[in-house]
Amino acid sequence: MKIKDLLKKEGIALNVDVADQNAAIDKLIELHNKVGNLSDAKAFKEAILARENKGSTAIGMGIAVPHGKSAAVKTAGVSAITIPAGIDYKSLDGNPSKLFFMIAAPDTAADTHLEVLSKLMTLLMDQNFANKLIEAKTPDEFIKIINEKEAEKDKEEAAKKAAAAPKAAAPAANSGGKLVGVTACPTGIAHTFMAAEALELKAKEMGVSIKVEKDGSGGAKDILTDAEIAAADAVIVACDKNIEMGRFDGKKVIITSTKEAIHNPKALIDKATSGDATVYHHTGTVAKSADSAANESAGRKAYKHLMNGVSHMLPFVIGGGILIAIAFLLDDYSIDPSNFGSNTPVAAWFKSIGGAAFGFMLPILAGFIAQSIADRPGLAVGFVGGYLASTGATFAAPGGDVPSAFLGALVAGFLGGYIVLGLRKICDKLPAALEGIKPVLIYPLVGTLLIGIVMCLINPIVGALNAWIAGVLTNMSSGSIIALGALLGAMMATDMGGPLNKAAYAFGLASLANQNETGYMIMAAIMVGGMVPPIAIALATIFFKNKFTEAERKSGPVNFIMGLSFITEGAIPFAAADPARVIPSLLVGSGVAGALSMAFKCTLMAPHGGIFVFPVVGNVAMYLVALLIGSVVGCILLGILKKNAVEA
Amino acid sequence: MVSQKITVTNEQGMHMRPASVFSQAMTPFASDVKILFNGNTYDAKSVMMLMSACIKCGAEIEVQCDGADEQDALKKAIELIEAGLGD
Repeated sequence: MKIKDLLKKEGIALNVDVADQNAAIDKLIELHNKVGNLSDAKAFKEAILARENKGSTAIGMGIAVPHGKSAAVKTAGVSAITIPAGIDYKSLDGNPSKLFFMIAAPDTAADTHLEVLSKLMTLLMDQNFANKLIEAKTPDEFIKIINEKEAEKDKEEAAKKAAAAPKAAAPAANSGGKLVGVTACPTGIAHTFMAAEALELKAKEMGVSIKVEKDGSGGAKDILTDAEIAAADAVIVACDKNIEMGRFDGKKVIITSTKEAIHNPKALIDKATSGDATVYHHTGTVAKSADSAANESAGRKAYKHLMNGVSHMLPFVIGGGILIAIAFLLDDYSIDPSNFGSNTPVAAWFKSIGGAAFGFMLPILAGFIAQSIADRPGLAVGFVGGYLASTGATFAAPGGDVPSAFLGALVAGFLGGYIVLGLRKICDKLPAALEGIKPVLIYPLVGTLLIGIVMCLINPIVGALNAWIAGVLTNMSSGSIIALGALLGAMMATDMGGPLNKAAYAFGLASLANQNETGYMIMAAIMVGGMVPPIAIALATIFFKNKFTEAERKSGPVNFIMGLSFITEGAIPFAAADPARVIPSLLVGSGVAGALSMAFKCTLMAPHGGIFVFPVVGNVAMYLVALLIGSVVGCILLGILKKNAVEA
Repeated sequence: MVSQKITVTNEQGMHMRPASVFSQAMTPFASDVKILFNGNTYDAKSVMMLMSACIKCGAEIEVQCDGADEQDALKKAIELIEAGLGD
């Protein structure tokens, strides 16, 4: 029995505009009639209404399944409509119904309607699936979603049968059951360990052996070995973020949320020991807890991908940033101002090591965004894309030109992930014999090639932008000096190492070469603009605690050091996590600081160094005032614009 | 934990109405109520789970109750199924 044999494209109507239950029933019957399932639509409607009178067929979760068994049915069939706004269908849970399947069964076939009902319920229990159907745009898409889900379920059923056979032959050797589990939450500080503890305690109480791997922020603890996984009866995956799932291929796996594990460990362990879990088949698609996946909007998903990249990038930024700050601290500005940070051998050593860590920042960001989207095959593709964003490779200059930097790396991460997902879809059509070469040849080769092409197309656009801005700035330097300061400051904060930032910085270096008062003032405005973003963020993590996740709050203070050292990159993890709100805030803050620096006629003769070159800043007291006001403005805007952080 | 095997006798099997009758009758009990059928376990308090089990007429199922009021829950469950689940 297949749903797809019963539900025809012509039997589906989406986004139907009907007022009430009766109209919805009429529409569903009309669809049945159109397909040709009915010999007497009127008699069939009577059967349907008679059934509804005995109790509503709306089973909750926004789903209703009116059904009728009648001589008026020629051929068994299903029709479907969606009403995204929902109508009152007297549901058991009182909620409006949005998704309707009407089953028509002939009077003869004894169990048809039971089988169809059972099949539909098996599929619809996945709320995510039901939501996808409600959101479907065309009948073709609707059918495609059902077919995919049905194929997936059939595969699970077959595997379950296969798995059940040997199990029956060797009855439970370990009566208590042997389980393994993995817990993980996005921040990896609290819920990961709470869920693990709940499972471990409950298992002990129930006499079940369990080992739980905790994928926390400090790396995974109690990592499951292959032998342990092989020996386990079932796996409980209680995770709110994506974890490495390939190792559980062929095992009975329960995928759930940390919340469920914390509040209801007994049910999970019962389910796992009863052998009721479905067998997991690793398709490379990203596994998520059904709970969170069901309620996830596209925006929330994108945020999750983003955070996966950001959380992996953060250690590189912190380690590298502090080492570079130490380099400035240990260096002597007077030897060669333009080479500040690398003048003495000791400083140069710190700066190189810190620089090495910084060099990985963008590849890691892009790589782990892509990994979150497309699982392991995405990592390499995103990584390469991020690297190309940081070198600025183009077709004309493969070695690198103008880097698209942090914004380019964000693009590379998402594109890289979706390129691999796309490849996977295309590869589905390949014969099964080629299955093995997909991850070792096709995804890495074609994926890397494609991301290379894409990045080489993006980077030159950035280069052109960069050149254009340099022209604009040169023209402006003869005009209002305060407006120029505001613009330069804002540019420093926009993309933090990207084309605008680089254009502003290069313009500053060129102005320094002029060796005049205006040139020094320009450089001062640029540096203050670059110092504001990390400081504004550090302040905001203190004054607006609820706008940041726990991990973000903890890394906040490091941003003071970065900001004071003119390491704008410290703000990148925060900007990457929420670009639409963070960048505008920082932009305004830095703009204000740049304008004030100009207004106070502050000057700077060194191209870098932050607070360590303040002794040579002209009008340094007012320079500090500009920095402070800019940072406070940025901080307040962050507080206003940012939404409260969702602590997972 | 108490359990009992029973044959479902209503002509149409565990279709939607019996399933909702059964799940609604079981929900007030504090005990976990499960149906064991065809090698799988189904939560008897969930109408969707019950329907997905595809329990046909003549099928033998096992009702399993576990909790403080398990005796009462099992008694009620067996009564309901014997009475044909309101069909």
